[in-house]
Formats: sequence, C-alpha cells, structure tokens
Amino acid sequence: MDTRLKEHPILDEWGGENLSFWFEGKHLIGHAGDSIAAALIANGIDSFGQTEKGTPRGIFCAIGKCSACMVEVDGVPNVRACLTPLQEGMRVSSQAGKGKPIW
Amino acid sequence: MVNPQFFIVGAGPAGLCAGIAAAEQGVSVLIVDEGFMPGGQLPKQTHKFFGHKGFFASVRGFDIAHQLVERAEKAGVEIRLETSVAGIYEDCIALWDRKKDHVWESKPERILIATGASERFIPFENNLLVGIYGAGAVQTLMNQYGVLPGKDFLIVGSGNIGLIVGYQLVQAGARVKAIVDIASKIGGYEVHSRKIERLGIPILLNHTIVKAIGKQKVRGAVIAPVNDQWKPITSESRELFVDSICLAVGLQPSVELAAQSGSAIEYIPALGGYIPVRDPQMRTTIPTVFVAGDISSIEEASTAMMEGFIAGFQVAQDLTGTDMQAKMSNMRDELTALRRGPFSSKVREGLGHFGIHFPSGGYRTETQTETGPFDTMKALIECPQCIPCNPCETSCPTKAIEVGGNLNGIPWVNYEACTGCGICAMICPGLAIFMVQKKGDKAVIGIPYELLPLPEKEDVVFVQDRKGQVLGEATVIRVMKNEKEKTHLVFIEVPIEWADTVRSVQVPEQKKNDYICRCEEVTVEEIERAIDMGYTDYEELRRYLRIGMGPCGGRVCRAQTLQILSSKLEIPIAELEPGTFRAPSIPLPFRAIRRGETDE
Repeated sequence: MDTRLKEHPILDEWGGENLSFWFEGKHLIGHAGDSIAAALIANGIDSFGQTEKGTPRGIFCAIGKCSACMVEVDGVPNVRACLTPLQEGMRVSSQAGKGKPIW
Repeated sequence: MVNPQFFIVGAGPAGLCAGIAAAEQGVSVLIVDEGFMPGGQLPKQTHKFFGHKGFFASVRGFDIAHQLVERAEKAGVEIRLETSVAGIYEDCIALWDRKKDHVWESKPERILIATGASERFIPFENNLLVGIYGAGAVQTLMNQYGVLPGKDFLIVGSGNIGLIVGYQLVQAGARVKAIVDIASKIGGYEVHSRKIERLGIPILLNHTIVKAIGKQKVRGAVIAPVNDQWKPITSESRELFVDSICLAVGLQPSVELAAQSGSAIEYIPALGGYIPVRDPQMRTTIPTVFVAGDISSIEEASTAMMEGFIAGFQVAQDLTGTDMQAKMSNMRDELTALRRGPFSSKVREGLGHFGIHFPSGGYRTETQTETGPFDTMKALIECPQCIPCNPCETSCPTKAIEVGGNLNGIPWVNYEACTGCGICAMICPGLAIFMVQKKGDKAVIGIPYELLPLPEKEDVVFVQDRKGQVLGEATVIRVMKNEKEKTHLVFIEVPIEWADTVRSVQVPEQKKNDYICRCEEVTVEEIERAIDMGYTDYEELRRYLRIGMGPCGGRVCRAQTLQILSSKLEIPIAELEPGTFRAPSIPLPFRAIRRGETDE
C-alpha cells in the first residue's frame, strides 16, 4: 500500500529519484531523501520489529529521541531508521529487542 | 574543523541562530546534528509563524529553516550532519560520525547545548500498539517526507501541537475523528482551535483516551469523559474508528548532555521538567557552557531563535572581546515582547526561579465590539486572544489595523480606513481574518483557504459555520489566489442571514458518487477504505458496510466488490471466499409466506 502524498496545498514535492532497497527480503522502492523509516511507511510497513518480549514495535518520535525504530541495516543492528538516510541497495531487517548478537 | 572556538549541539532554530550570531563576529563555529537535514523541527512546520515582520512572522517554518541555514553557511558556520554527541566528558566532547562510523573528539572553547525536547508518552491500556505516534512524528513523516502513516486519526491533547497537527493532517488528506483533552479548556491558541472546529472536527474537553483497540496495530480507540478527579467515567466511554493515534501531550527538555557537562539541573515543571540552571545570557553554571531553545524552557521556535542569538552574542563577546551589549539588549527586547502575553505566564513563572524576570501586560485585552459598516468589502478580525502577533497591523497598506499596546494586543480595525483589499486576511498566520460585504439580502464572505482542492469561480461549495456545521450551498464568486504564500481567499455569496455565521467552505468530494451497491448506496471509496482498515473478506465487508445486504441480494454488487478486494489484496478472485448466498434471494413478502400452503 502506497502511503505517499500525491498532492498538498502548501508543499510542492518531496524526495528525488527512486531507490531500490529490501526489507525482510522483500524488494521495495523508496525515494532519495527518505529516511529508512519514511521509506518503510511509504510502503505500508509501520511495524519495524519487536520488543524484547515479542510485541510488535512501531516508531514513536521519528526524530531520533525514542529509539523505537531500531532496525538491522546490512547486518548492523540498532540503526535508528528515522535518522538514517535511505541508500540504494540497503538490506533492512526487523530486529527483536536490541538485535541478535553476531557471535 | 575538529576543535572550533564555539561548538554547538543541534542545528535547530536555537543552534543555527547562535552559530550565526557568533560566526558573524568572526568566531569559528561548528554545529553538529544527529539528523541528515538541518533546521531541527522547522522543516516540518508548514504553518506560518506568529510574531512580527522583523522576526519571521507569516513565514512558514520550512522557509525559516532555509533562510537560517543559508545565513549560517554564509557566515562561515560549518554544519556536520549525521553526527551524534555520545557524551560530554570532563576533557572533551565525544562524537560519533555515523556516515564514517567512527568516533572523534572535540575540545572547543565554548559549548552551546541546543538539543531541544522529546515528546511525552502517557500510559493507557495497549499504548505500545503500532500506530500510536507522538504528534510530532506524524508531522515529520507527512510534511518532511510526504508519507502519511494512517488515514483516520485521534489526537490526544489540544495544545498548539495537537491543534496544528490536526489541521495539517486534513491538509495532507487524512481524517481527524476527534481531538480529546483531559483539561476543561483548550490548551492552544483559539485561532488554531477555530480552524479545527470550522472543519467539523470535534474537540472533546474533559475527555481522555482509555485504551487503544487492536492486536497487531491500532484499529480503534476508546475515549471517555473524566470526572473532577480526572478519572474516566467508563460507563460513558465510546469507541472511535481510527487507525492511528497521535499523542500531543507535551514535550520534555532533552537535558542529558547539559547534565553531563556538569551544569546544574533543576526540576521546574513550569518550564517543562528538568532544566539547566542558566543566567539571562543563557550561560549555565559552567561558565563555558550555554543552553538555548526548548532545552531551557518548552516554548516555540521564535523564542528559541532569540535565545540562540543571545547565547551566540555572549559567546562572541567572551571570545573576541567585542562589546555585544546593544545587540543582546535588542534581542532581549524581542523576547520580552513575545513573553508578555497570557500564554507565557508559565515561562515567566519558571524563569523567576532563576531570578530572571520578564514583564507582562501593556496590551489591549478587549475585542472590538463595533464593527462595520460592511456596505463595501471590509476586514472582520476574529482573533479574540492576546497572542504575540501583528502581521495584520504591519501588512495593512492603509494602516487601518492596530494591535493595541504591544505585540500581544487584540487587533482592531479602523473601518473608515479599511479598503477591503484582503491583504491582512491572506497574511494572517491564524487564518482568523474574514472579508465581509453586505448588500441587500445578500452577503459576500471572503474566507482564507489552505486546503485542496481549491475551488474555482462559479463552483458550488458547501458553506459551514464556525463549528463546521454545513448550512447549505453557495456559489464561489471570486478566488484571490496566492501561489507564493499559499493562503488563498475564496469569496462566496450567501443569504444575508448567514453573513455572521458562514466561516468555512467545503468542496464536495468528487469520488463520493462512485457507487457499487445500489440498494445500500455504498461507494468504491468506502469499500477501498474498509479494505485498508482491515476488512479483507467479503463477509466482513458485508457486515461493516451492509454491501450486498439490500433487496438485490448482492446480484449487482458482489462481483464488483470481489473485484476491488482482489485488486487491492493482489489475490485472484477465484481464490477469494465469495460469501454466503443466503435465501430468500428475492424480496419475498412475509404475507406470501404466511399464506403459504404445503402438500398437506
């Protein structure tokens, strides 16, 4: 489901060219200028992972303060999706709690 | 630049202005910010700011961000983005460059901590559900990135943030079901709440959210009125159908780094919580460390900018020896003007704890009772509160408007001087000025308009009163378009008896007439919305929308509904459940059944 605004009475346009990325192995399209969080929500994905206890976790503040949007990016856990610009080819995965240890 | 003279944490309004103030005096300045866009929360502010012309009044927040960044860069300020301060230690600031993924140290001569604030989270049943956002998060997503995380919203909190986000959600095409506030009066400016009410959105005071409904994500919310102990009266609770909930229940200063620097912190609820102790020049108890903006009192971007300038001037004076007293005193006058009004009483009280005193009053508090005559087009100002704002006064080409006393006064119109040009109505940040002309049994009303679609001349629109109640239809006789500032004026002709009540227009939705179900009048849009809300099965849609439950028994609409389901869910029709084909399949009268006979 595409949740991107098509028109707006005040703002002219957002974002640049299309960028390819993956979430949980699924191929998605975002825009240059998106945060990872914005690109996921634009694709209708609003649950980015789970808490330590397994509860679905969405984003709360979108400005880097609450750390509820932590995802794994290219194998690195605990990346705040709201503060990280989307880049071509990123492989994003959901994470539970603070992410799985790599050892 | 690793070791600037002046190191600033946060590229928001306070940090940028401090950087500008110091860099323009020749101080080397580095600003770091965690985000990848400078401007702090300004880029998501699509509304026009209050205040006065010399300080960004009637300029939209994202434009202010552009102007500040441009001026900072011109002054030689270096801005490093995607750079997080990991900690302020005794001997250095430890920074994490997230692009290079490495840590570096900085040892500046002066530090300004302008880290802003974070949104408060309140407890209620199920409040961890996906779809419950801070109101600012929704504002960031929709205005900064152009994505809308939901379609139907409940907003908790009627302060300025709740009211502004509510209006901006409608501008972005979402629906706001209600704004609830546990308090008995609206927290934000009345010009903002009136904008919301004109759209027909209820603001329910003495109400709170009791629980969020849903398993994986929000499907609804239960709200209830509260008693005089602020406890919900559960017997009067009700459910709202929403897919998102915005919490606009206040901000708390982001004080961590200031505390790490060794600056004294005090708990001052009137300022927003834990606050660094500071002097009028924004200097904390550590003489080389300053604060400015929301970290030093939860207010707004205008006061943050002024505090930033004051801190920057003081740092420039410390480091260059140049006397900056005159500039500081000017900026202090600006702050004084903004903080004189009734909405700043808490800030004045809070700052009193630090021995910093701001005066109040000196402005007109009465609204104008004698208005008109309106035999020719005139401005009618509906701005009943003392808020620090005067673009109406300064934009009027004939000087017909005066806010009395100082910035906070209530504007009055000199009707002999008003020419009815409409400039004030287009510039007013609160959309609180209407144009009115009464002639015979008709009246022409000019309404400020910032929604889509913009009606055209000769369009027929619905007209609404101040509470959003539709009174009837009217024809648009003129549209004054303002492509640059985006506040347009829509003029409609209405019967004279509506002259004092019509304050809003609504363009009828086009898609509304796209029917699938003839019997129960269900449209394509309604079906698509229901599917988006999670009714992904024909039987569920039938129960929710009554589609297929009319006398045709689904002959007209079943296949079409399944087609919509199929294309939305990307599942072939053959794999969908077609729903029950229930008897009787024609409108069989009970009379005939009663008269019926059997073989016996």
